[in-house]
Amino acid sequence: MTLLLRAIVAAEDAGVAADLGLRSVSGTRTAALAAAWDAGRAAGEAELLDHHRVVQAVFERVPCLPARFGSVFADEEALHARLALREADLAAQLIRLGHRCELAITCAWREPDVLARATSVPTPSGRAYLERGLTQMRGERARERRAEAIVARLLSELAIEPDSIRHRICPRPAVAVSMSALVRRDEIDGLRSRLERLGAQLGDVTTVMQGPWAPYTFAVSE
Amino acid sequence: MTEQATTLDVPLVELVDRLLNRGVVLTGEVTISVAGVDLIYLGLSVVLSGVDTIRRHGADV
Repeated sequence: MTLLLRAIVAAEDAGVAADLGLRSVSGTRTAALAAAWDAGRAAGEAELLDHHRVVQAVFERVPCLPARFGSVFADEEALHARLALREADLAAQLIRLGHRCELAITCAWREPDVLARATSVPTPSGRAYLERGLTQMRGERARERRAEAIVARLLSELAIEPDSIRHRICPRPAVAVSMSALVRRDEIDGLRSRLERLGAQLGDVTTVMQGPWAPYTFAVSE
Repeated sequence: MTEQATTLDVPLVELVDRLLNRGVVLTGEVTISVAGVDLIYLGLSVVLSGVDTIRRHGADV
């Protein structure tokens, strides 16, 4: 039976998700939790979100490392062999990350990027085309500079250790900043309050906080 | 404005990005692809593009 990897937990927590239909494949220090998966099955949005739902259910019970969606193993033996190769690293990550959670902070532009949308509109001349391109490029640079300034404000206001923050600026047209923060659960309320205060001061973006999630962004892959 | 996500009913592009691109990987296995990823991203980007939409979904995201 093929298996879809859901999460890594400590070996002593191997049985924590049996009621979720997960099989556990144990090593000496860690265990992999996986679900039965039909090898010919196609995955879509529903399967993607179901993965998150299952990972969150595990994460609410015990410390865990979330698996990137889509890792399928031929059988328990294949999964055990792969787990054994990474076990020392995974056990160390579990100690470092397992008790902390990820908060996703997204700053979305309030105004849509009108210039980017104008690209599909024909221009009357080559000169007009080039001028529009230059204007768009300047607009993008201006947005990037503004996004960097927002990041600086976030880092200053949230007061989280730099090692516990990852961020990207302008990852998509609608988004100025996509940030991940690794925090303890007892830090969430304070962080939310600081973010609300800052969000109220940022007139050009809407700030959204999601989570707490399992620490997807901070779990290091090979 | 800051919205606190409370449930997982409404998918968001930020979550999809993490599910597809981050998290532990044990190499050597078969990796399944997700059908319609571009459409998922596009649809969710639209969700993130409007303040009103964010406000509407904020309570049940």
